[in-house]
Order: sequence, then C-alpha cells, then structure tokens
Amino acid sequence: MHQSLWVEMLARIQFAFIAGFHILWPPVTIGLSVALFVLEALWLKTGKVFYYRQVRFWSRLFLLNFAVGVVSGIPMEFAFGDNWAPLSRFGGGFLGNLLGFEAVLAFMLEAAFLGLMVFGWGVVGRRMHLLATGMVMFGSILSAFWIMAANSWMQTPAGVRLLHHHLIITSYFKAIFNPDLPYGFFHMVIACLIMGATVLGGISAWYVRNRRFTDFFLPSLKYAAVALAILGPLQIFVGDSAGLHLADTQPAKLAAMEGRWRTNPPGRVASWVALCWPDPARQDNAWSLKIPRIGGLIITHHYRGGIKGLQAFPRRDQPPVLIPFYAFRAMVVCGFFLAATALWTLVVWYRSGLTLAQAPLSRHLLAAWYGMPLAAYLAIECGWFTREVGRQPWVIYGLLRTSQAVSHLPSIALVWSLTGFFVFYATIGSAALVFARRIILSGPDLESPIPDHTDAPILVARRR
Amino acid sequence: MLQAPSPNHELLAGIWFAIEGLFLIFYVVLDGFDLGIGVLSLFMRKDVRPQVMMSSISTVWDANETWLVVLGGTLFGAFPLVYALLLRALYIPVIAMLFGFIFRGVSFEYWELARRKSVWMWAFGLGSAVVAVSQGYILGGLLGGMNVVHGHFRGGLFAWFTGFATLVALGVVVGYVLLGTTYLIMKTENKVQAVLFPAAKVAAIALFIVAALITLLTPLRYEWAARRWLTVPGLFEFGLLPLVASLSFWRLFKALGQRRPYAPFAWTLGIFLSSFLGLGITIYPYIVPDTYTVTAAATGSETLIFMLAVVGLFIPIMIAYNAYLYVTFRGKTGAGGYQGP
Repeated sequence: MHQSLWVEMLARIQFAFIAGFHILWPPVTIGLSVALFVLEALWLKTGKVFYYRQVRFWSRLFLLNFAVGVVSGIPMEFAFGDNWAPLSRFGGGFLGNLLGFEAVLAFMLEAAFLGLMVFGWGVVGRRMHLLATGMVMFGSILSAFWIMAANSWMQTPAGVRLLHHHLIITSYFKAIFNPDLPYGFFHMVIACLIMGATVLGGISAWYVRNRRFTDFFLPSLKYAAVALAILGPLQIFVGDSAGLHLADTQPAKLAAMEGRWRTNPPGRVASWVALCWPDPARQDNAWSLKIPRIGGLIITHHYRGGIKGLQAFPRRDQPPVLIPFYAFRAMVVCGFFLAATALWTLVVWYRSGLTLAQAPLSRHLLAAWYGMPLAAYLAIECGWFTREVGRQPWVIYGLLRTSQAVSHLPSIALVWSLTGFFVFYATIGSAALVFARRIILSGPDLESPIPDHTDAPILVARRR
Repeated sequence: MLQAPSPNHELLAGIWFAIEGLFLIFYVVLDGFDLGIGVLSLFMRKDVRPQVMMSSISTVWDANETWLVVLGGTLFGAFPLVYALLLRALYIPVIAMLFGFIFRGVSFEYWELARRKSVWMWAFGLGSAVVAVSQGYILGGLLGGMNVVHGHFRGGLFAWFTGFATLVALGVVVGYVLLGTTYLIMKTENKVQAVLFPAAKVAAIALFIVAALITLLTPLRYEWAARRWLTVPGLFEFGLLPLVASLSFWRLFKALGQRRPYAPFAWTLGIFLSSFLGLGITIYPYIVPDTYTVTAAATGSETLIFMLAVVGLFIPIMIAYNAYLYVTFRGKTGAGGYQGP
C-alpha cells in the first residue's frame, strides 16, 4: 500500500477504535443517570427506603461506568488535533466551537456535580443531592447534544460557505440546527435511554432468575420493561424517519446501506435486497438475496418509489458497501429484538395480573433479558459504523475528504499509539467487567443507615 | 484570517489569548496538585498512601481534569491552527499524556473495588507521573518553537526531545509535587502532615534551582525571548515578575520552617502565578514562538465574538460550581477517611 494510504488507514482504524470503545460507556451514563434521578426523586417524594436502596445500588455500577467514559473521552477530543490536524485547521472554527461549548456548558457541570453526587451523601441535604444528580443527568444529555450537533454538521454541513478553501460561517443557527441534527440527536438520546433500561432490566433479570433479592429486583425489571416497551417502538419510528431523510441528504449512504447499485426510477416497483456481497469493481453485487416488490415500500414508503443507486455517483464519491449494509441490518435486528422482548414481558405480566410476587415469568423470558444489554451495545456500535462508514469518502460531507483531513505522521508513530490504545483499553475494559461482576455478585446493601445530613460532620468523604 | 487583521480582530484575539491563559492557570494549579500528589505517592510509605493521597483529591480530580478539556475545546475553536500544530508536532508526549490520564482516572474507582489494591495505587502514581512529565515536554516543545513550512509541520517525531525541554519537564514535575505536597499539608494533620514538611522543602529547593535555570537559559537560547526581555519596557515587567517569584519562594521557605498549614500552598500559588504570567507575556504577541502570532493564529472575528458571548458568560458559572464543590468538601481528611454516615 502507498505510504500515505497506509497512514490514512491506520489513522481511521485508530479513530474507529477509540470512538468505538468510548461509545460503550456514555450511553449507560446517560441512561442510568435518568433512572437514578427518577428513583431519587421518588425517594424524596414518597420517603420509601426501597427507592434509596435502589439509587445506591445502581450508583455503584453508574460510577464504574462513568470513570471509563471520562478517561476514554479525553483522547477523542485530542484526536482531532493529533491525527486529523488538517480537519482541525479546516473545520476548527466551527467544530472547535462546539467541543468548547460542550466542555464549558456541559462537561464542567457534569464533573463538578458528580463529586457532590458521589461523596455528598450525608454531607449535603437531600434536596441538594437530588439537584446534583439532576445536574449530572442534564449535563450528560447536554454534552450529547453538542457532540451530536458537531457530528450532524459533518453529515449535513449547513450554514457555511467556502471561500478559497476556507470555511466561512454564514449562520450559526443553521449550522448547529443542521438538517441531520433532530434525527441524529433524538436517535442517539433514545438509544442512551434504551441502553440504561437494558442494563437495569438485564441485571435485575439475572437476580430474579437466580432467586436472589427477588423483591428488590422485580420492580426494577418492571420499570425497565415498561420503559423499553415505549422506547423500543419509538426508536424504530425515529430510525425509520432518519432513513427516509437520508434519501434527501446522503443518497449514496442510503444506497450503500441497502446494497443498491442501479437506480430505480420513480413509478417502478423494486425488489428489496435482504443479503448481498458487494463487488465495487464490477459496480454490482456478486450475489444477492432479494425479496421481490417490497423495496420501494421499505426504503421510500411508496410502492413505486424511486431509489438512487450507487452507479449514479462517480466511483470516487462512493462509500464502501459491505460495512454499512451489514451493520445497518444488525442494528435493525437488535432493535426489533429489544422492542419484542419488552412487549413480550409486558404481555406475560398482564396475563398474570401484573402482580410482582407470583409473576410467573418463564425462565426463557428472563434469559432473553440477559441478551438485552448486549443487543443494545451492538445496536449502538452498528449504528455508528453505518453512520460514519456510510459518509465516506467524506469526513465533512461534500466539503472535505477523509484523505485530505489526515495528519501525515510517520506510520511507526501510529502503529505504536494504536497498539497502546488497544492494550490499555483492553486492560481497563476487562477490569471494569471484573469489577461490575463483583458489584453484581455482592448484591444491594439493605442494611446501612440512611444518611441524614444534619448531624454528619463535614469531612472529606469516602463513599461506601 | 483572510481579511487584513483589523484592530478589532487584534483585540478579540488578545482577549482569547488571555482566556486560554486563564484556563491554563486553572488547569495547571488545580490538576497540578492532583498530579503532584500522584507523583508524591510513589515515594510515600505504603500504609499512609491509599487513605490520604486518594481521598484528599477523589472529590475534585474529575472537575480539575475538566479544565484541560475546557482549555482543549476552546483552543480548538479559537486557535484551530495552534491546536492542529501543537498536537500534531507533539504527538508522542500528547499520546503519552492521554495514556497516563487513562490510568490515573480509572484508579480512583478501581482501587476501591480491587482485591489487590497496590496495582491501582501504582497505576495512580505512575499515571500521574507520566502525565506530569508529558505536560512538561509539551510546554518545553512549545517554547522550543516549531518547524513549519506553508502551514504544515515539517519537524521530526522527536523534535520536542531536547535538553531544554527536559529541564522544563523536570520543572513541571517538581512544581506539581510542591503544589501537591503543600495542598496535602492543608488537608492532613499530625503524623501524616509531619512527613510532608520536609518533603515540601526538598521540592521547593529543587523547583527554585530549575526555575532559575529556565529563567536564565530562555533568553540565552531563544532570540524571540531575548527581544522581549531586554528591551526597555520589557525590562521593567520582566524584572518585576522574578522579584515576585523570589519573594514567594522566600516566604514559602519561612512558612515551611514555621510549619504553618495554609501559607505554604498560598506562596506556592504565588510562584505558579508569577511563572505563568511571565510565560504569557514572554510569548506574546506570539502564541507559538516564532511561528504564529496570536492575531494570525486566531479564527475569524465573528467566531471569536460568538464564542466569547457563550464561554464568557459561563466562566463565572464554572468557577461557581468549582467553588461550591471545594467549600462542601473543605476541612481535613480524617485519619481513616470519612467513614460515611
């Protein structure tokens, strides 16, 4: 491979790796922070100790997850400068703004109130503590907003024009609220809420299935099932709308996701490609498994809808097909699995009169819940691979190519940094799994006294 | 950048240079003591290490580290050329710093859950040390200037690795240790505190020597610094700051000798503030010495105004969050840590 292609490929692998690792953690942070806030508010409202115990148990997993999310997020910010210096020079006037806003408006809020949330039990009052939890939740969602605004703008760069290869911002409003933002932001936030609910439900199901702390975890399983029964179908709807929107904004990505090389003009019925093996050299699929007549219906929601194929784009503007095609399908399968399992759980519950004590949940259903967090993780990863690989060969769609955006570092530097990230992330990731298992095995703390801030000494706190 | 720099643009760029300087000072002082405590933990007896070192900063380290995220994000927005150049040219120390942060950050959470706690104590100490050394080389590399041709970095992968940068790295590490030690003196009592006074003294002597060497060598080595220092108006301001720093050192030694709890940290702050203020006015009007001036490296005026409106509003708010955090967790770290309610 040519030296510069090799460097570009290594830089892309490194970014994909650190971003793919990082995105495992913040969705759990966001999802669980919402759950923690709701449970803590219920504690304050009802005074029931059960809710307090729930908050304390899930906080332990939340914090473990939060720590890895924080440390894996910092390399992301720096990657724009070190591996993608030309991208920073070209787009920094806008992208840098948004990362700066994220840090100033959201990140500091989250970080400062996290200290209070973790160590503030018994040090600050209950209302203040609830406020801290709320601020951590708000900060993490706000942070997602700025990141999605930056990423959406790279998908549909609006509010700017080019002047001698320099980016001039004509409207900040149009740039931040670019056409892709509503789809990107809501699709991601719902994914985060789903992620949190599957962690809550999956772990609760494990306890229930093993008959440990059943009274404690049946309610949380129920909350998760109700949340997912609403969020799952909602997410399918949002995702479908995002797909329709792609036909206007990034038709090449849509064609890659659907494995379509030839254009289907409006007014003609098209088949739908279920599976295929793309062959870019021949500009066609080597083989494909098609379902006749439903292509237009699925992709455009019109029986005779027109669909642009990849052949309509010059080769140098075509994205790779294999990854978006299969990643998209895997995401959809995971999404339907999540929604179906949640609805199935509600049906079983409804039939048994929604009583918790003798809920005759089948062991198979509970086992299916073990797969829920895995399906949610997989769906998020696959969704991002579809979104980012499908935007290629552009890094800022239509404005800057990925090949123009990469820092020309000596490849040896990239080999070492990539190896370092791989080894260190494997270390901290597997340690997090070991510790999560330990927290789960030790179960909730049902004995320790409830904190009362009035007579607690103000000292630097140790939690637990 | 395309239009000729208007006086307005020059002013805005100057304001942003000052804001980045403020964020840098916040970061260096606040995360500096965290990192210094981490480095110090490598040299402390095992039985005092876990309880005191970590619990004294576990409430604030995340907020402290966030100042670097703030600095990075706003630098990316206001001075994208500098952001791209520095991180690209200093690839090795930047990546090393990120690796150090990874281990420093997770160790707070992991050591409480781990059966073999010593592993994560080492991760905390070594991670902090790697971060401190890398930041020293980043600063040294910045002062050393960059080989830039047509906006592209043309220097080697190890261009930052010079004797002078090594001296700066040593200064940063020793400075952080001094900050960390004097911070711990405020947060501890009795036996633990007693060990810290001699440790602080050693760090202070080392920092004094290194800082004096850096101050002498900078104008000798770098022509841009000599130009700034040895002209008549420069002579006044540059004469004043070493004077303030020397006074702070003198008062620091006195306070350590009298075993006062709070004064050593305060005078260490005096040393840091005068050093970084000196650094700022030495570099100005450059932001990367001999390569980019502040005005030339800044992004367009409209972007600077837009960012200033948002970030400027939030600077006092961010300071307020942090102040509330520190006030809530004020006071001494108990002998066994706070056991919880």
